[in-house]
Amino acid sequence: MEETMSTKEAILSRLRSNTRETYDMPSLKALHAITYPDPVEEFKTKAQTVGGARLLEAKKGDDLNALICQIYSDAGIIASNLPGVEAQLNPDTVAQAQDLETADVGVIQGHIGVAENACVWIPQTMKERAVCFASQRLVILLSKENIVNNMHEAYARIEQSDEYFCDYKFGTFISGPSKTADIEGALVYGAQAARAVTIVLF
Amino acid sequence: MSTQHSKAAAAYLRDEAVVTRHDQTFFAVRQKRDRMAQALPEWEQLRETADQIKRHTATHLAQYLEQFEANATRNGVHVHWAADAAEYNSIVYDILRSHDVKKVVKSKSMLTEECHLNSSLEAKGIEVVETDLGERILQMMQLAPSHIVMPALHVHREDIGDCFRSKIADYDEIAKGYAAISPEPHDENDPTFLTYVARMHLRRQFMEAGAGMTGANFGVAATGDVVVCTNEGNADMSTSIPRLHIVSMGIEKLIPDLSSLAVFQRLLARCGTGQETTVYTSQFRGPRPGGEMHIILVDNGRSEILGNPEHWQTLKCMRCGACMNTCPVYRRSAGYSYTYFIPGPIGINLGMLRNPKTYSDNVSACSLCCSCDNVCPVRVDLSSQVYRWRQQLDSLGRADEMKKFMSGGMSLLFNHPLFYKLALRLSPLVNWLPSSLLNSRFNPWASGHKMMKFPKKSFHELWKKL
Repeated sequence: MEETMSTKEAILSRLRSNTRETYDMPSLKALHAITYPDPVEEFKTKAQTVGGARLLEAKKGDDLNALICQIYSDAGIIASNLPGVEAQLNPDTVAQAQDLETADVGVIQGHIGVAENACVWIPQTMKERAVCFASQRLVILLSKENIVNNMHEAYARIEQSDEYFCDYKFGTFISGPSKTADIEGALVYGAQAARAVTIVLF
Repeated sequence: MSTQHSKAAAAYLRDEAVVTRHDQTFFAVRQKRDRMAQALPEWEQLRETADQIKRHTATHLAQYLEQFEANATRNGVHVHWAADAAEYNSIVYDILRSHDVKKVVKSKSMLTEECHLNSSLEAKGIEVVETDLGERILQMMQLAPSHIVMPALHVHREDIGDCFRSKIADYDEIAKGYAAISPEPHDENDPTFLTYVARMHLRRQFMEAGAGMTGANFGVAATGDVVVCTNEGNADMSTSIPRLHIVSMGIEKLIPDLSSLAVFQRLLARCGTGQETTVYTSQFRGPRPGGEMHIILVDNGRSEILGNPEHWQTLKCMRCGACMNTCPVYRRSAGYSYTYFIPGPIGINLGMLRNPKTYSDNVSACSLCCSCDNVCPVRVDLSSQVYRWRQQLDSLGRADEMKKFMSGGMSLLFNHPLFYKLALRLSPLVNWLPSSLLNSRFNPWASGHKMMKFPKKSFHELWKKL
């Protein structure tokens, strides 16, 4: 421990002595980020073009389980801890994260949708977040009321309210299925994480 | 005297088809970046803000690091400090050994390349599995990255297919599984098929590993968060299945707060790969339930760079790779022509900051076109820095003798007007020399192209007659 302290102090003191002129933090208020006449429409377009996700519009009160069946009719094992979702695996109660690898479909709740790039903020609200990544396919539920224009607005929400960084110390923006272009630049969906994503807008 | 870069580039240029493909592949990424820039009216304002935030953070780094450490510690994260590569490698090993970890899955991190972490761990008996597809391909083929963001784009699908068939033990079983879900016949080197093979192979690694390692695109001082961006989700697979998460972070990756993060998140993927966003932008605030999270803050020369008045701005770099994609020299000479592990404009400068004597061969890899300066999201003055390094070559004992001789001659000429005018008057006589002599290897002005023709009338004469 002694040694760690000395390394830290040495680094900090080098930084202090090597700092010459200093610069002020700019004001971000002057930055006028892009907004859209209809952020929900923009989000819907971007989710399909940028993200490569499927988009489904639902009405409040629609039967969630029927919707999931309709989206992924061949789904065997469904993993979710959302109330009302009929799931065979619950990320709150599985013995270990590895168990979620067998999930055909994970169903999770998005808290913010971002129109400029189709990002959806998923705070970890389950014990094992592997459900968001290891499931073969993903259904993300999102309320239209929670769609913002751009990342500045999204991070402002996350910064201002605890509800966007919930029970566990993790959150992620997901914009669609896992993808790669590492083999000769050819775009392929389904690299390591979810092969397909459907966003259900309520 | 030619530099290592120019010799390697000359060898690379012999295969025209390979060069053209490399050039076009990366220029296409540059064009995608341009479309992203044009789609945002606030683009230049965004770059200016990013530049200012990075200047501010770099010149207040000690205070932000202390704030970051305090917040991360409060969030339950173990924070370590490493002065150099050796200390960093030993901290990683100690953490892994204390948890009895035999296998590590890791997402891409240029810092671990810089510190040679993988070979250090492997020498001590720990298996390291790269999980970014490009990095995994290179690791299996025992190759180094040729680009910092798209590390294996230079490798051809046939070679990747051969590698998978010989190195992935359950290849046949995986191929059968693919046939079941995609019954149509396919080429054995089809990228979709090969990506599936890698997916199944890597999923097994995630299940078996005892620890997951990631780099950090950003560290947020105000919250203690670490942000990691990937398209494949491999950083998330690496950290949501094994319970132990180790983050390796260069101290320059720090930014003040979440408002700043918005600026950089918007720029990173747009500049790097021409996407509005990476698929995953994951924010780690603390360990998982029942898990453990460590952050290692690595200096390894960065605190010294801050004190260098001509080159401290390289600390603003967020490793997006845009400068490589646009660089005409990088595109036509590829990553392996450079002697430092990071190629392209930023790599030339970082190599010189690492060791100017060892890596001075790369400063020739620049035409001073300044395109890199214009695409850099944080406005690092890359080409000016390369120019300044070139001015120092003589004092490093690394100047080209031929060019020194020619500079001496020109200095003589330009300082003696009479002599200069006479030389100008006589220069067209050179045109009468036989081409075999003019275009021979003894004339460095005729290297790579034909010797120019001296004009009959000089600019001075034409100007006077206007």
